[in-house]
Amino acid sequence: MTPILTVNDVKLTIDGRPILKGVNLIVNEGEIHAVLGPNGAGKSTLAGLIMGINDLKEPDSGEIIFQDKLVNGLDITERAKLGITLAWQEPARFEGITVEEYLKLSGRNNPELDVVECLELVGLDCSYLNRFVDDTLSGGERKRVELASVLAMRPKLAVLDEPDSGIDFASMEDIANMIKTMRERGTTVLMITHREEIAEIADKATLMCDGKVVQTGDPKEVGQKFKTMCVKCEVRNPELVGGE
Amino acid sequence: MATKNVLDTVAKKFIQIGLPKDLFERNKFNLLVDRNKIIVRYPAPGVRSEVVETPTGVKTKVYVEPGTKLEEPVTLCFGAAETTEVQTTEGEIVVGEGADVKFQVYGAMAEGIKLKHKNKLKVRVEKNARFEFLDLHYNGEDTFVELDTETDAYIGENAYFRSVFKQTRGRAGKVRIVLKAQVDKKGVAVFETKMIGKKDDEIYVEDVIHLNGEESRGISKSRIIAVDETKATFVGETYGNAPRCRGHIDCSEVIRGKDVTVKAVPVVVVNDETAKVTHEAAIGSIDKKQLETLMARGLTEDEAVDVIVQGMLR
Ligand SMILES: Nc1ncnc2c1ncn2[C@@H]1O[C@H](COP(=O)(O)OP(=O)(O)OP(=O)(O)O)[C@@H](O)[C@H]1O
Ligand SMILES: [Mg+2]
Repeated sequence: MTPILTVNDVKLTIDGRPILKGVNLIVNEGEIHAVLGPNGAGKSTLAGLIMGINDLKEPDSGEIIFQDKLVNGLDITERAKLGITLAWQEPARFEGITVEEYLKLSGRNNPELDVVECLELVGLDCSYLNRFVDDTLSGGERKRVELASVLAMRPKLAVLDEPDSGIDFASMEDIANMIKTMRERGTTVLMITHREEIAEIADKATLMCDGKVVQTGDPKEVGQKFKTMCVKCEVRNPELVGGE
Repeated sequence: MATKNVLDTVAKKFIQIGLPKDLFERNKFNLLVDRNKIIVRYPAPGVRSEVVETPTGVKTKVYVEPGTKLEEPVTLCFGAAETTEVQTTEGEIVVGEGADVKFQVYGAMAEGIKLKHKNKLKVRVEKNARFEFLDLHYNGEDTFVELDTETDAYIGENAYFRSVFKQTRGRAGKVRIVLKAQVDKKGVAVFETKMIGKKDDEIYVEDVIHLNGEESRGISKSRIIAVDETKATFVGETYGNAPRCRGHIDCSEVIRGKDVTVKAVPVVVVNDETAKVTHEAAIGSIDKKQLETLMARGLTEDEAVDVIVQGMLR
């Protein structure tokens, strides 16, 4: 197995508060890798560092390596051109830009781009093509359009920050299938999620807590650990383990 | 009226600054004016008009007959193909009861020319009529225009008036746009201004809406992008003078560059306890998340800014 992304002992402090405390993670080419963990564990911060967004251009220490290339310090466009992209937990809204235009921009380097198919894969029909990507789309629709734009781009690595949040329960299977399709088309997927049924489609899972990786391995086992350990973990609930 | 030769020369210069070719190829113009010369004049059904050339421009009077409904917009162009000191346009438009029409007006200032353009327009939209006035401005990147335009509108009972000023291409120049509306019972006034200022452009936009009739409504929306050393001011005033009238001012100005000066002044006055007028004003740089999203799809920062700005100006 060839690693496509290696996160090596990454540490980050924001306003004097350590947020990532030495994160190690390897994502292999072609896999779906789930990241689980409680609120505030540092999952979105890690995602931000991989893409270079939110002023998270480089960690205080440690390395982020994409296909043998150190991406610390690179700007967002450079990382995107290497083949990395990210779908936000809360995607941006654009005034005056249609879904079709957005998908075409996202997929402008994809010779096989089919915008209607991208929409269908996320459960939206072609009537959405001339809708604006603004606040007239519902929260769930906007999330779907974001996933469609990742499909349109067809990157080597897609970092999906909670692709399932804001999506109705009945559509979970669609989202799961969409992520599998993404992988079939050559995209490695690193996805942050709180939902077991989504984590279960992963080949591997990583559990993060309090800025650290607690466990990496089989998604079922990691999910189980998350359920049983994390809710009562010593970091968040010290009294349960006889702390202060 | 002018010969085909003159029209061809004008067409070439206006297409060069971005006017749709199609307008000329398919003879879409109902009126085309170059400085103070009428180049094309072609009547639209149900629309009576009088146009006279003056020493510096043209004077127009337009009367849309009551009940007239047009699928196609009435298409006008007031432009200048060459430098001239001043161009003055004066107009009066009356849209008769129950009519439903759209005017598409092109302002075209050819590449490299210099000129002062003064415009005064009076609009009267009678009872139950609908009138859309789309004022699209095309200037060259090397054109310098001092534009001073004032519109005074009366919107009758249950009538609708939407006026859009868009500066689509080129330099804005030095611009003063004043739009005033008196809105009667159940009438609606919508003012939209969308502009981009570059280099040392100066933009001043003032929307004044008086909601005088019961349940009248007013929307004043502006999107101004200020780049380089542009100075831009937006003043939006809405007066809620009648029972259950509703007004909203929505102004968003984007700054790009250290030397821009941008001001937004929303003024909201309410004289009736059942009236409601709201405003939102935002001045700031381009939304970071929008920018980063497009960059994460591989666009450069400049490309992303362009996409976002063009979207806002749409
Ligand atoms: N810019 C910032 N300034 C201050 N604190 C921050 C900033 N960004 C993140 N944090 C903090 O870092 C911690 C990790 O945040 P992060 O968003 O990475 O969590 P997460 O694991 O994605 O959580 P969630 O499941 O709620 O999305 C949180 O405690 C958060 O408050
Ligand atoms: Mg998060």
